[in-house]
Amino acid sequence: MSRVALTAGSKFLYFFFVSISGLFLYIDLNYKSFEGIKNFYQSFIISSKYFVKSTTVEPITFLYEITKEKSYLINENKKLKLELDRSYISNFIISNDSKFFVDDEAIKNFLNINSIEKVFYLAKLQYFDNEMYLCCSKHRAFIQLYNSHNDLLGSPVVNDKGIIGQIIYGNSLYEVLLLTDIDHVLPIVSGNHFCNARGSGKPEIIICKYNNKLWQQKVEIGQKFFSSGMGGIYPKGILIGKVKEIREVDENFTEFDISLTSSPLASNVFGVLESL
Amino acid sequence: MRNIGITKFLIIIFIANIIESLSAPYLINFYLSIPLTFLIFSFGIFRSSRKLSSLFAFSCGLYVDLISSSPFGLNAGIFTIMSYAISIYANTFKLFSYIQICIFFGIATVFYIGFKNLIMNLENFSYLLLFISFFINILLFLMSSMLRYYFHRFL
Repeated sequence: MSRVALTAGSKFLYFFFVSISGLFLYIDLNYKSFEGIKNFYQSFIISSKYFVKSTTVEPITFLYEITKEKSYLINENKKLKLELDRSYISNFIISNDSKFFVDDEAIKNFLNINSIEKVFYLAKLQYFDNEMYLCCSKHRAFIQLYNSHNDLLGSPVVNDKGIIGQIIYGNSLYEVLLLTDIDHVLPIVSGNHFCNARGSGKPEIIICKYNNKLWQQKVEIGQKFFSSGMGGIYPKGILIGKVKEIREVDENFTEFDISLTSSPLASNVFGVLESL
Repeated sequence: MRNIGITKFLIIIFIANIIESLSAPYLINFYLSIPLTFLIFSFGIFRSSRKLSSLFAFSCGLYVDLISSSPFGLNAGIFTIMSYAISIYANTFKLFSYIQICIFFGIATVFYIGFKNLIMNLENFSYLLLFISFFINILLFLMSSMLRYYFHRFL
């Protein structure tokens, strides 16, 4: 369908509106007469944008920020907990530095000779069979270092309470033989009384058996025993535990239980010392 | 676009103005200007089967002046002139090929850009901008008309 051709009246209207446009343009450019309308429109647009944003986008953003902040706080909390555990272990080693090392010079020499930057390596517990620990004789823990390091076999593993055990196997995931495992033997001392304490297979208990004809000095309940350093694995003089119970096995042998000061259940973060 | 309502038409122009204002800063780096609002208005007038009044073109131009922060009367005048030109040649366009129509719109676009720059941007008036915009706009019209042709075939 063809359009109707423009009449003279229509043409005049076009001319009229073009003239009006020219007039508007002249007035606006010279006198800024329409600034009020433009400003009103801009303020309306800005207000509308703000309103729409505050009712739609911002609540969603707020919810997202809350969830993000929560996860951020959880991560921060984990990080702080890790730092706290690290400081506990550091404190334990620092408070026992004279037992780990003879003097400051010995620490420096040890670090220099072995090219060690840190005294201990922080590790986290990866697997621990709690049921086996409570019921049976095989007491093992599996730990993983935060920063990988080679050749840690035989290294003592500690937490902030004391010695836990030693690494017996592993490359990236290390198996720790706990003090309470029946295969573990720990040379301990109290005064002049030396003894090889075996793991009892019971939680936090190691057993010491000695010939009472050879060692006539009596052992008392509550007596403190320390690591003797005779095995070449653990440092000398670290508090291992206190005597809990004494039993007469026969007329020649006496056996006593030592309640350990440290427990693998106390923390899931450990320090692995370089092999001494 | 043949029988589109006024409200829908104004909304389309509003969206086109937003797209134009967003794309213009990037296109100007290539000495290119695509006046999308003007083109959509022209296309709407061109495709409309109804007799459109000069008041509609004038009002539409004022509306674009308002939303694009142009001086009042600039778009109103150009839109009215464009509407007049399309109305005058409405029946003649039927004899034209697509390429000729595209060239007509390309020339109209250059006229629009040039006039707008004369009023609003005289210090940075660029013939290179007009020249490049002329060819690119014609090319875009040709491409869009071809797409429309193929799209129509698939429908």
